[in-house]
Amino acid sequence: MTRQAGRWLAAALMGAVAGLSACAPDGAGPVEEKDAAALAVPGRTAQLALACSGCHGPSGGAIVSLEGYSKAELSTALTLYKSDEDGTTVMNRLMRGYSAEDIEAISTYLADEGPR
Amino acid sequence: MTGISLDRRTVLTGLGAAAAMTGLSPAALGQTKANLVVIGGGFGGATAAKFLKLFLPSSSVTLIEPNETYYACPFSNLVIGGGREMSAQAFTLDRLRGYGVDIVRARAEAVDGAARTVTLSDGSTLSWDRLVMSPGIDMRWGALEGYDEAATEAMPHAWKAGTQTTLLRHQLEAMEDGGLVVMSAPAAPFRCPPGPYERASLIANYLKTYKPNSKLLLLDAKDSFSKQPLFQQAWAERYPDHLEWRGASDFGRVVRVDPQAMTVFTEFDEIQADVANIIPPQKAGAIADAAGVADQTGWCPIDGLAFESTLVPGIHVLGDATIAAPMPKSAFSANLQAKVCAAQIARLMAGREPQASVLANTCYSYIADDAAVSITGVYTNDGGALTNVEGAGGLSPMDGGPAVREAEAAQAAAWFRTITAEAFG
Ligand SMILES: Cc1cc2nc3c(=O)[nH]c(=O)nc-3n(C[C@H](O)[C@H](O)[C@H](O)COP(=O)(O)OP(=O)(O)OC[C@H]3O[C@@H](n4cnc5c(N)ncnc54)[C@H](O)[C@@H]3O)c2cc1C
Repeated sequence: MTRQAGRWLAAALMGAVAGLSACAPDGAGPVEEKDAAALAVPGRTAQLALACSGCHGPSGGAIVSLEGYSKAELSTALTLYKSDEDGTTVMNRLMRGYSAEDIEAISTYLADEGPR
Repeated sequence: MTGISLDRRTVLTGLGAAAAMTGLSPAALGQTKANLVVIGGGFGGATAAKFLKLFLPSSSVTLIEPNETYYACPFSNLVIGGGREMSAQAFTLDRLRGYGVDIVRARAEAVDGAARTVTLSDGSTLSWDRLVMSPGIDMRWGALEGYDEAATEAMPHAWKAGTQTTLLRHQLEAMEDGGLVVMSAPAAPFRCPPGPYERASLIANYLKTYKPNSKLLLLDAKDSFSKQPLFQQAWAERYPDHLEWRGASDFGRVVRVDPQAMTVFTEFDEIQADVANIIPPQKAGAIADAAGVADQTGWCPIDGLAFESTLVPGIHVLGDATIAAPMPKSAFSANLQAKVCAAQIARLMAGREPQASVLANTCYSYIADDAAVSITGVYTNDGGALTNVEGAGGLSPMDGGPAVREAEAAQAAAWFRTITAEAFG
């Protein structure tokens, strides 16, 4: 596999794998957390995060790559966009459509909490 | 910003490794052995095939596409304006093989929704548990009097990228200074709502720079269009002498063309063109009708959760072919719909119901080679129908000024690189 393909997968799966440990992608509570098979079923959170990768894929082409950010960094940035009308990007117009809960879920899902 | 660590990258370089990491039991999703077939290797189909394999690594995913090379429509207006090479629009599906997708170089000729089979132009028949179709558009030949397939040689539509794009470019280059370029934009719905107006901007930019005595007349079957205030602001500032738009109530609607004489007729007048770009009325790609998933409008009704046809269960339809309004017919929409659909198919395979989420769209349009504007939308599929999320989305600021327009042009270029890498890379 090419390096580029590897990086794409890393970015795409970063979410999938992080989602398994951190929050239930099925949008479910603790009941389902022990059910590994159930957790692998992509749910609301995974689907929310899939909207990001068309612009923010792996580095080297993306508007801004989302690799390497912590949950706190992501949720702070996304929440700020909701009220930031500076107009040089589409992010304010987009984030106005997402609730605080959605932003938390996306940030958890996409966070890179691995070794820096 | 730090990149992903080497360890992490090594661990995640293969789908097999990924499935292993998720710790699935033999009965789980990773072991689901379904036959999944995807028709059409454009933005919707290529993305769907890749993400189906990602979510269902043990299932077989077969992607059917007749063309060796896919020419992307987004950014093809820059080629027509002279600011980009056609080679930058060319993509192949070869890399998808590396993800475990089987590519079949054929045309889907017939779909049997009851028997769950698809018959290909090479005579073979494939069976499927779920079928995903993203066949894009076909033209409604004859819906505009005089405009049939043969007419596209004299009056290109260039609404499917490829030889039509280069033909229109060559015609503009060959035109003498002082010539009249006529464009015709159709009534909604059609592929890429802001596309005709981006194209008009970039043709006007070319004329202003290289053929200053020439002019573009944009004839429109509508009175309003996507990003209208932004486009009209740009035209007034940049192309006052080179671009004239005529809406439907000004007799802008083209009712007939004569490709031999190079004339374009409205209800009011007959216009002699030196170059004519006719964007005709459209419908879902023909295979949609053959499969029974298109309705009397020519487009495909779907449920907004899993993009499953409301006419034939088991068939999912994506992208331009669908009735997904308020989501527009864009590459961005097709790509995101494909990812969401793949996730929902994984849910269905696991015996789960599809789950609602939030979808979005962003379309950039160039108003000159180095300036762009954007429109965004945010949608929910809660309850099964796609609807706008109130208070979100909208246009670039009118008072953005050159710095914002330049920044959006750079963001547009990065978007193109990213989305084509996600679909084809
Ligand atoms: C000038 C122009 C500019 C545009 N700019 C933008 C932009 O800036 N941003 C944006 O988001 N969108 C843009 N678009 C829109 C974008 O191109 C489409 O929305 C997008 O291509 C839709 O993807 P799709 O998968 O539905 O169809 P397509 O990308 O057209 O893919 C359909 C594929 O299906 C194949 N196919 C058809 N029938 C069969 C069959 N029977 N068997 C097998 N294969 C079949 C075709 O060969 C094709 O490869 C633009 C469009 C145009 C015309």
